[in-house]
Amino acid sequence: MPETGISSFKRLSSGLTGLSKISSMSKNPGFPGFGTAGILIVGFVVFLGLFAPYISPFDPWDYSAIPLEKPSDLHPLGTNDIGQDILSELLYGARTSLLFGFFVALLATVFSVLVGLFAGLSEGFTGKFLMLLTDIFIAIPSILLILLLAAYINPDFLSLILILSLFSWQYGARVLYSQTLSLKERPYIYAARNFGAKKLYIISRHLVPDLFPLLLSGFVRRMRYAVFMEAGLAFMGISDPSTKSWGLMMNRAMEFVYIGTWKWWLLPTGVLLSLTILGYSLLGYFLEEHVDKRHRKVN
Amino acid sequence: MTKQIVRSLKAKSMQYFGAFLTLLVLNFLLPRMLPGDPIDAIYGDSLVVLTPDMRAHLVEQYHLNEPLRVQFIHYLYSCITLDFGYSYSYNAPVREIIGGALPWTFLLAGTSLFLAVLIALFLGIESGWRRGGLTDRFLFVLFTVLNGVPGYFVGMLLIIFLALKLQLFPIGGAQTLYAGYEGPEYVLDVGKHLVLPMLALSITELSWIYLLMRGSMLGVVNEPFIVTGRLKGLKERVIKYRYAARNALLPVVTRLGIQVGQIVTGVLLIEIVFSYPGVGLVMYDALMSRDLPLLQGILFVLTICVLGCNFTVDLLYPKIDPRVKYA
Repeated sequence: MPETGISSFKRLSSGLTGLSKISSMSKNPGFPGFGTAGILIVGFVVFLGLFAPYISPFDPWDYSAIPLEKPSDLHPLGTNDIGQDILSELLYGARTSLLFGFFVALLATVFSVLVGLFAGLSEGFTGKFLMLLTDIFIAIPSILLILLLAAYINPDFLSLILILSLFSWQYGARVLYSQTLSLKERPYIYAARNFGAKKLYIISRHLVPDLFPLLLSGFVRRMRYAVFMEAGLAFMGISDPSTKSWGLMMNRAMEFVYIGTWKWWLLPTGVLLSLTILGYSLLGYFLEEHVDKRHRKVN
Repeated sequence: MTKQIVRSLKAKSMQYFGAFLTLLVLNFLLPRMLPGDPIDAIYGDSLVVLTPDMRAHLVEQYHLNEPLRVQFIHYLYSCITLDFGYSYSYNAPVREIIGGALPWTFLLAGTSLFLAVLIALFLGIESGWRRGGLTDRFLFVLFTVLNGVPGYFVGMLLIIFLALKLQLFPIGGAQTLYAGYEGPEYVLDVGKHLVLPMLALSITELSWIYLLMRGSMLGVVNEPFIVTGRLKGLKERVIKYRYAARNALLPVVTRLGIQVGQIVTGVLLIEIVFSYPGVGLVMYDALMSRDLPLLQGILFVLTICVLGCNFTVDLLYPKIDPRVKYA
């Protein structure tokens, strides 16, 4: 059996137990159509989010329509309980979800690179300390701390992004750390180190390009997590009130489930949210397989 | 070997102690770090109006007129004695509210997790064993799709179709209030209320546990010891369950332990949808009415539960997998 990226990781981390085993998780190879389907779905949501201002029939914050109206030519998905056009809300929600997912994934990936790679390259105390920090963050149930923080500071969109990225880098850092441990013994990096290259130079010139496929699939996985969390937190009432959120829409729709509005209010929102998450999962499968392929060549 | 275990136990304990300490310090510092009075930070947004008397009482209770380290010692003491203060929105001590809600959460989480794990492991084993077959492909696509559907959406759909349209089950709550049921009637009533939230939660947890088990099976089915088993002429069933599944189970158990946090998230959301009177619903109420002492108490108790679960799994792991030697 050819050595896959995951099994090589397993070998690397064979000394570590418990929590660090996480990365040897899903090895479900996807089906051939998965990648295409993922790209199509994500592309569709990106389209909705990008062009929300142009395709929305109304301003989603405008509450001048009659509340709880049934779908009509004017309001294809009716209006909500305070007279806002649901379709427009849905489109602007795509925008929120995308932006949130993208920036959380970006920040969390940057954090994980900084911590994981630095810890991998540093011998002695710094490396140990960084990994202890990572392990502590892995042990912390992040959702609970996010809720606690959010309750105190009434977060706006930006601080929500910050809080969530603060709690989503740890797994990535663990994986990158063990990859770095093996990569740094490769001749070219060994040589660079012996020539006195600084850590930041090795990271940016050698390690990041080497690990790029891994970073990319991690990025997509974190994006999926962020979209899920954004909706979930908004559903629990934690969101920036000046942004539209699918989670918040579903929370509002939940109160009116009894009068039949769910068909054009709850259902489209829930389906679109689920579809978005599915899209990222499929894309993730696709990328992870390609990471494997690349590793097979390298090893 | 024993030396190794002791050393790794030390590392593990440090990790969990660090996590616990982070929680303690955040809980303690957050209200005190925010600009203004900690009392305003805690009670400022809530719906209660503080009289000077209540304010003085709170200063007394949290020792706010003393230095920070004295406050911290008092805070630690109150954590040990599970004294989380008084909830003004429920008009009861926080400890009592949590104590009343926790059993419902344990009931819901326990039953649905049991159901989900049982079905998911079985389906995952069968699916991974028949890799590429029709059953496998069907299950894999089904659960990949389901894995994207948030639990609260599943819950709401169940309410719409099974509770509102078909009227098979109650819409929410954990029991018929003021019905005065006793004995078997009471159990039946509680059971009826449990079905829908349990179903919603099981469906959500099922999908990722299945995917995990299937993936783990795929990694095992081509191992040499499976071939050996076949060459020995062992029965298919024996190879599948005792050789393949037994080995594939190990990483899944670890993951389950780690994912307790995620499971808790699922429970909290489902309780909100079904107005199920567990800690999730109380937490939602606390968030809505900005009852921070109550929220702090709940998050503290939940974090301890999660850390406890993770730690137990970590300790049990070498027992489950004798090959693991702690490094």
